[in-house]
Amino acid sequence: MEKEVILQYLPLYREALLLTLRIGWQGVFLAFLFGLACALIRHRRVPVLRHVVTVYIEFFRNTPLLVQLFFLYFALPKIGIRMTPEVCGSLGLGLLGGAYMAETFRSGLESVAPIQEESALSLGMTPLQAFWHVILPQAFTASVTGIVANVIFLLKETSVFSVISLMDLMFTAKDLIGMYAKTLECLTLLVVFYLIMLLPVSLLGSYLERRLRYAEYGK
Amino acid sequence: MKKKQVIAVLAAAAFGTTFLGAGSAFADEPFRTLDEIKESGTINIGVFSDKSPFGYVDENGEYQGYDVYLAERLGKDLGVEINYVSTEAASRIEYLQTGKVDIILANFTVTEERAEEVDFALPYMNVALGVVSPDDAVVESLDDLGEDDQVIVISGTTAETYLVKNYPEIRLQKYDAYAEAKTALENGNAAAWANDNTEVIAFAIENEGFTVGIPSLGSADTIAPAVTKGNETLLDWLNEEIVALGEEQFFHADYEATLLDTYGADYEDTLVVEGGAVGAAAETETE
Amino acid sequence: MTNLGLDVLFKGSNFLRLLGGLWVAVRISLVSVAISIALGIPAGILMTSKKKGIRVIFRIYLEIVRIMPQMVLLFIVYFGTTRVFGWDLSAEASAIIVFVFWGCAEMGDLVRGALISIPKIQYESAAALGMDQMTSFRYVILPQTIRRLIPLSINLITRMIKTTSLVMMIGIVEVLKVGQQIIEANRKASPNAAFGVFAVVLLMYFLICWPVSRLAVYLEKRWA
Repeated sequence: MEKEVILQYLPLYREALLLTLRIGWQGVFLAFLFGLACALIRHRRVPVLRHVVTVYIEFFRNTPLLVQLFFLYFALPKIGIRMTPEVCGSLGLGLLGGAYMAETFRSGLESVAPIQEESALSLGMTPLQAFWHVILPQAFTASVTGIVANVIFLLKETSVFSVISLMDLMFTAKDLIGMYAKTLECLTLLVVFYLIMLLPVSLLGSYLERRLRYAEYGK
Repeated sequence: MKKKQVIAVLAAAAFGTTFLGAGSAFADEPFRTLDEIKESGTINIGVFSDKSPFGYVDENGEYQGYDVYLAERLGKDLGVEINYVSTEAASRIEYLQTGKVDIILANFTVTEERAEEVDFALPYMNVALGVVSPDDAVVESLDDLGEDDQVIVISGTTAETYLVKNYPEIRLQKYDAYAEAKTALENGNAAAWANDNTEVIAFAIENEGFTVGIPSLGSADTIAPAVTKGNETLLDWLNEEIVALGEEQFFHADYEATLLDTYGADYEDTLVVEGGAVGAAAETETE
Repeated sequence: MTNLGLDVLFKGSNFLRLLGGLWVAVRISLVSVAISIALGIPAGILMTSKKKGIRVIFRIYLEIVRIMPQMVLLFIVYFGTTRVFGWDLSAEASAIIVFVFWGCAEMGDLVRGALISIPKIQYESAAALGMDQMTSFRYVILPQTIRRLIPLSINLITRMIKTTSLVMMIGIVEVLKVGQQIIEANRKASPNAAFGVFAVVLLMYFLICWPVSRLAVYLEKRWA
């Protein structure tokens, strides 16, 4: 391994890390939105929409992100729908993640006993208050493990972004290998940067899981 | 628990780095000699599978193109079966250095940097860089590009290295594969596409609405077969073969079989290199 | 039809080639799942071990699998091992190694979870009936564990099939790569082929994965 090579590549990897994080978190944010909306629609059994949501969830859970991205980025322009690579990346990640989050949230919502809502309503809370103050916190606690797993999964999935020309960590490594053939240095940096990106999330997840478990002890 | 996890993770990191950093020493030479290839009865040749008309797969699943035409002949003259390995631009050197293929015949431009990593045989085609762009906004000089204009390049090609080195301010949009880059250009994702001029000329001829605004950029280079560094027996055989093929005007026949439809007869003499002889200058430069 | 680029699929053997590509993907995942299950069960049993050393090793292993994208592992195994150890692995072998590395961790963790979820009273009752440890494991614990595991491992199959789309990046010609080749060979005649081809590939993945994941849901409900 050559130290100068590593030092020379470091800024490129740093840039790639920032891009990966930016698009990754945009995707995670969208996934939360889509997931929560879908979970509510299914939980409240909204007519019609509920079936649309089911189709969406089944479709995105049963196809690979790589192919979804190919479709969004290369196929849709053929019928006049164009997106920049960044938008395509976050949207693709968000749509995929939304389908996973929806399932996670739903099982969380289902784990809250109906009596909780009934009691809240009988105490004079409005349905919205009951949802916000009583149901959601408990549902969230119950789904935290799933949420963290989904977030890590989504951030890892960014590694296929090269196909839509986004210089994420993986593509930066591949690109440098292609140009200068310093394979060992590039792969080592790649591993180190993924650790930097995902270790904190993984550790935070384990921490949250333990913290929130205490909340259940009173049950 | 938390402490344990931190330790676990640190150990994982250490594991990862030592594994990768264990050193680049090979236990063995990574390549197969000419005799080993003949003995095995199969040669592994890395070609493009999405770069028409040089290396692509037709609707019956057969490899075709200018590079493949040569590969077929090499297989025949060696008396072995050919196992085609589909490669991307960025992994060509990697494939040779790790011995995954015996020869790369994937429109591989000879450059000084690459010659440090692999051994090039005698050339069989001329090439320079070129830039193609849509008819309604033809890019005739790289200085015409606006600040927001992006140029498509394929990762690991000479066009990429050239632009990174000589025009660092141009915003590049990089793709892994030819098919992706071309579809992106068609879809209007960038102002232009820079690549080997052979390739961009072919693209403009085959696709309406595109013009090659810059037909020649950078230095005049050549394309040659490449083998793993140090694989002398195979390299020597390739060189003899290319010289011998020149005597029967093989590469002209190759052009007429594979490229004529695309380029017409006009480019035949500018593109084809026969018997490895480009003119002495280019050859000594690559040595 | 023409302007959506579906016509290219019926040219020559294009459609069959796509199916062939899909089979490559499915084959890789089936082989990997089979090996993962075989290795995952002993791994899971080891994970419940009381020895700290063993547990720490598995913790590290799980953490690597959890953090590293499969794409990175594919690159390391396919290119890295040749450089470091001089092994010459085919792309398909590398893919299977990576998938097994990942699948074995997941299976192991599932087995561990299933094992510790079996109530203590089951062990105690078996012991009270005079079974020794091996017998109770073989006739009482294992059957219950496997029942819980089957739906979960079917799930793993669909995830592996989906992940096989990555292997095109290390040069395996699977369905997505075949799709690109078709688009490339027909660019002139059918400029919109990208739409038809990618839509069909997307649908193919769905038609393979969806029934399998429905089966997993069904079994999970039935056997839970």
